[in-house]
Amino acid sequence: MKSNTPLLEVKDLDVRFAVRGGDLTALRGISFSLDKGERLGLVGESGAGKSVAAFSILNLIARPGYIAGGQILFDGRDLAAMSERELRKIRGNRIAMIFQDPMMTLNPVLSIGTQMVEAIKAHRRISTKAAREIALSKLRKVQIPSPEKRLDQYPHELSGGMRQRVIIAIALLLDPEIIVADEPTTALDVTIQAEIMALLLDLCEQENVALMLITHDLGVVSQVTQRMLVMYSGRIIEQGPTREVINDAQHPYTQGLINALPQMGEPGARLFQIPGSMPSLKNVPSGCPFHPRCSFATDQCRQTMPEYVRSGNVDVACYEVSNLIEQEKNMQEAGS
Amino acid sequence: MTSPLVEIRGLEKRFDLTGGLLEQITFQNGRFRRRQEAVHAINGVDLQVHKGEALCVVGESGCGKSTVARTVMGLLSPSAGEVHYGGKRIDNLKGRDVLPYRRKMQMIFQNPYASLNPRMTIQQTLEEPIHFHHPELARDEVRSKVQEVMQSVGIDPDWGSRFGHEFSGGQRQRIAIARALAVDPEFIVADEPISALDVSIQAQVLNLLMDAQETRNLTYLFITHDLAVVEHFGTRVAVMYLGRVCELADTKTLFSEPRHPYTQALLSAIPRLEDDRPSHIRLQGEVPTPVNLPSGCVFHGRCPYANERCRQEIPRLIATDGGAQVACHAVEEARL
Repeated sequence: MKSNTPLLEVKDLDVRFAVRGGDLTALRGISFSLDKGERLGLVGESGAGKSVAAFSILNLIARPGYIAGGQILFDGRDLAAMSERELRKIRGNRIAMIFQDPMMTLNPVLSIGTQMVEAIKAHRRISTKAAREIALSKLRKVQIPSPEKRLDQYPHELSGGMRQRVIIAIALLLDPEIIVADEPTTALDVTIQAEIMALLLDLCEQENVALMLITHDLGVVSQVTQRMLVMYSGRIIEQGPTREVINDAQHPYTQGLINALPQMGEPGARLFQIPGSMPSLKNVPSGCPFHPRCSFATDQCRQTMPEYVRSGNVDVACYEVSNLIEQEKNMQEAGS
Repeated sequence: MTSPLVEIRGLEKRFDLTGGLLEQITFQNGRFRRRQEAVHAINGVDLQVHKGEALCVVGESGCGKSTVARTVMGLLSPSAGEVHYGGKRIDNLKGRDVLPYRRKMQMIFQNPYASLNPRMTIQQTLEEPIHFHHPELARDEVRSKVQEVMQSVGIDPDWGSRFGHEFSGGQRQRIAIARALAVDPEFIVADEPISALDVSIQAQVLNLLMDAQETRNLTYLFITHDLAVVEHFGTRVAVMYLGRVCELADTKTLFSEPRHPYTQALLSAIPRLEDDRPSHIRLQGEVPTPVNLPSGCVFHGRCPYANERCRQEIPRLIATDGGAQVACHAVEEARL
């Protein structure tokens, strides 16, 4: 199933924020890839760096943030080294983005139609009439009732769920190869969230668009994505096929995150809790950033950041896991 | 069964939209008309909260669940209906008569960034309610009480001289809980107390609330939109839609056998870890505006089982064989 060259490949990405008193490292050594039509989930709590990761893919990190190292290879070209002019040809055209708050992405003083036509004309030389046709067809795709009417309406006339549908229609306008969705349903109610996620999933499958979904909701990741990354304090600590990660999480943080969910506990019993909270970027602990909250932490964890090891199809950065794998190997060798 | 600790009878709350008399008067077809518009936030809610239980009120935005919480606490006065505490009507009390109930009933709010006074130290924040309700206590008695309550929520008593902004979200919510517990209440209204927090912190705060319930014999009215939390935390659940309770049942009964079509749709929309794809019940349309309520059952416009009776007659909560109370003609007529 896997083609040889992935659609998007992020290699060793470092993102820093230059603030008074030195640089803060928001992302450290991030590497992952996204295949054509694949759906990838990016999970983490606030401050883990998942939104920075999403923004940096389109090189949208604003000052004082900057990409300090690494590559973002899309179609064989490095987005991190591209000029603004060249980037503009890709943003919204070949890689589209959906943000959390639809009210912040839609311009309140322009009608939906105007905004959609504007986006098409920014990338293609076609008539307004033809552009409106495209806009209309995309609005139909996202199953908005009476799409003709919506073109002349303004964002405030639509409900939250409807606005997010418009946003998805805008993302689809130019038939992108990748959609990056940053918490697209967090601001919505559960029933609307379910509708929007199902729609996004259907559309990505139909059009063979790759989806990068940033969310804190493990349930949503489980329903929608094929592979997932777990981020903690600016690092990817675990990545692999979604089913495998959720059913058999390796990293103590991922395990804790899953077990802390109310749906995993016996009703009425105390939930599993990870002590403490995510460190701020100003004082990231040495070694593995999770060690102050980890019950398996050793001196090794306190001193150096663990390398990735492979367990099944999952890559994990944890000494506890790598030691276990080592032990198993030794036992097998001793047995044979 | 003993008499309930808190009882709400026929509660209604309208928020006037039109303002003063001059704003209400319009000139139409040659004559003056007086026009009044109101948001019908709660439309006849009856609830009983029994001692020692956690009654959860769930629903989507705009269903009136927070208004119920605020009306019970006396932060809003009801447009119609009564609130009783320990057998005594309290919604019409004035002045000093309210004070004893203010001590017995405490509230925890959603956003710990807004509910703590930024200009007060934690020590001051926690001393204030004790001074107010127990003016007879000496300084060091108050201080030791504050120490005790800080310890019980897992905040180091030495941090008393710090300000709210020096704490993380989870710690702030602990302080807000400590403030509610400081005056030894019997009944706590918690309005979305964990919605603003990260998953791993949610588990910590939820555990804390359960511990407090056990050690202090508390009764909760717990408002939330998160059904997974309800399943874990609640003794009984009231599902609200457009200002009415549509189903009221034991948590176990409600989750194993939801009867109301809206409850069924709501439960199916929770993203579950074991799901591979979204598998929710699709509802038609969107929640109607609470300004012009639909006739009959408020849910009829979106309900797949609605018939003429549903469009005309308002359904009342009726006990079913399973033990749940459901407000649905279809359930009553055994069509569903």
